[in-house]
Amino acid sequence: MTTDPPNIPGIPPNQPETSGFEAMEGGTTLSNVLHRLLKKPLSLIHHFEHGEQRNSLTGKLVLIAAICLLVFGLVVGSFSAGTQLWAAPLKIVGGLLFSALICLPSLYIFTCLGGLNAKFRTVAGLLCCMIALAALLLVGFAPVVWLFSASSNSIGFMGFLLTALWLLCVGFGLTLVRRAGKALGMKGSGHLVIWCAVFLLVTLQMPTTLRPIIGKSDRILNLGEKRFFLQYWGEQLTTPHRPIRTAEEDLD
Amino acid sequence: MDNPAAATRFPIPALCRGDRELLDGWINGVRTGSLRICLTLIIVGLALYGATVGLWRGWEMAAYVAIKLPAAILLTLLVNGLLNGMLGLVLGSGIGFRQSLQFLLAGFAIMALILGALSPVTFFLALNTPPADHADARDWHALTLLTHTLAIAIAGILSHRKLLGFLREFALSRLAGVQTFFAWLAGNLFVGAQITWILRPFFGTPGLEVQFLRPHPLEGNFYDTVLNAALHLLGF
Repeated sequence: MTTDPPNIPGIPPNQPETSGFEAMEGGTTLSNVLHRLLKKPLSLIHHFEHGEQRNSLTGKLVLIAAICLLVFGLVVGSFSAGTQLWAAPLKIVGGLLFSALICLPSLYIFTCLGGLNAKFRTVAGLLCCMIALAALLLVGFAPVVWLFSASSNSIGFMGFLLTALWLLCVGFGLTLVRRAGKALGMKGSGHLVIWCAVFLLVTLQMPTTLRPIIGKSDRILNLGEKRFFLQYWGEQLTTPHRPIRTAEEDLD
Repeated sequence: MDNPAAATRFPIPALCRGDRELLDGWINGVRTGSLRICLTLIIVGLALYGATVGLWRGWEMAAYVAIKLPAAILLTLLVNGLLNGMLGLVLGSGIGFRQSLQFLLAGFAIMALILGALSPVTFFLALNTPPADHADARDWHALTLLTHTLAIAIAGILSHRKLLGFLREFALSRLAGVQTFFAWLAGNLFVGAQITWILRPFFGTPGLEVQFLRPHPLEGNFYDTVLNAALHLLGF
């Protein structure tokens, strides 16, 4: 007896999860990589496993991720302006690339534990695709973030918004990792779920480590004062913030 | 469609019916003028309706809302344009940037048509509403607010049902079409709420001055206000 594959966000039904795992046509030009990343990201993974000019593809993906994160960081930095206009983009790019780097060995080991027989460079490429896709989607949200950064003075709200957007964007990236794992022959996805949890934990802790990113501070980095992100968020949320307007103006 | 040439000249009936040939032409770029038609419908329909929203506070307020209502929709599309295109692609619908804009413009054009068609009724309502300095002005303000919220909700639901139908047909799969629709809907609602909040006042609370924008429109946000109001109600 056969059963239909489950419906997963981002994947049309009646098609296997691995559809699109095919040779990448059109070369590794920046525009083609951008196009593939959005429409057929599995073809990029296929290229890492079977194609040529892999280093060029890796470079393009890192470039896309860095540029997109810089743009997104600039918009985030506009909330506090001043030094954050340059500090926030650098912290976001550096923090995310560093998070990816420290999570790469565990991704390789966990995919191997899941039964994957892929080269290390393919797994590294997969991580690059994931980060580039999430970064690209974050740029799509940049106008939304700008709208709220220009009109809101609540650090708690901005923190919540940015965290929600990050989880949404990285969700697409993690779905890609799972699909790629299946396409490359991984048997179970349980190990990947653990890795996804680890990666999320790292990327949620990173902004707290590199704080402040959205607020203002005398110091650009606050590495001496160690905090867990949940504890830090709790402190930020309990900081009183009241609106300036009257209730009547709000229901206008 | 019986007469394609007629639909090109006067596309309103075909648009309301969700005529496949008209939309095919628009989405695939075969039929020109879709941007002009949709923008005209959105601006005219929403301006007419917006004028009736502000009219109970006088002609000045009517003129302000006639400008701000279409502006709110167009600004929402502008802010979300890039995101909507990306979501269409990553969700596997096969709908790209230009097509996503075309779909949403068609959806909002239908909404503007419905609201524009209701504007004579709301105009009549505004004419029958006592002025803002009347003793019962607050009650009438609440009634006006509820009536317009209901009208906008009905127009929003009907137009988005049409949009969902279009997306199901045009997407590479029905599920991808539905997912793309809800992703766009969530994004547009989220951003639209904030943009209309920035552009307030629309209804003109009795006792407050008639203004194009309230002082410091970019201070605070819609969600913060809702949260604070909820906390206030709960006694925090």
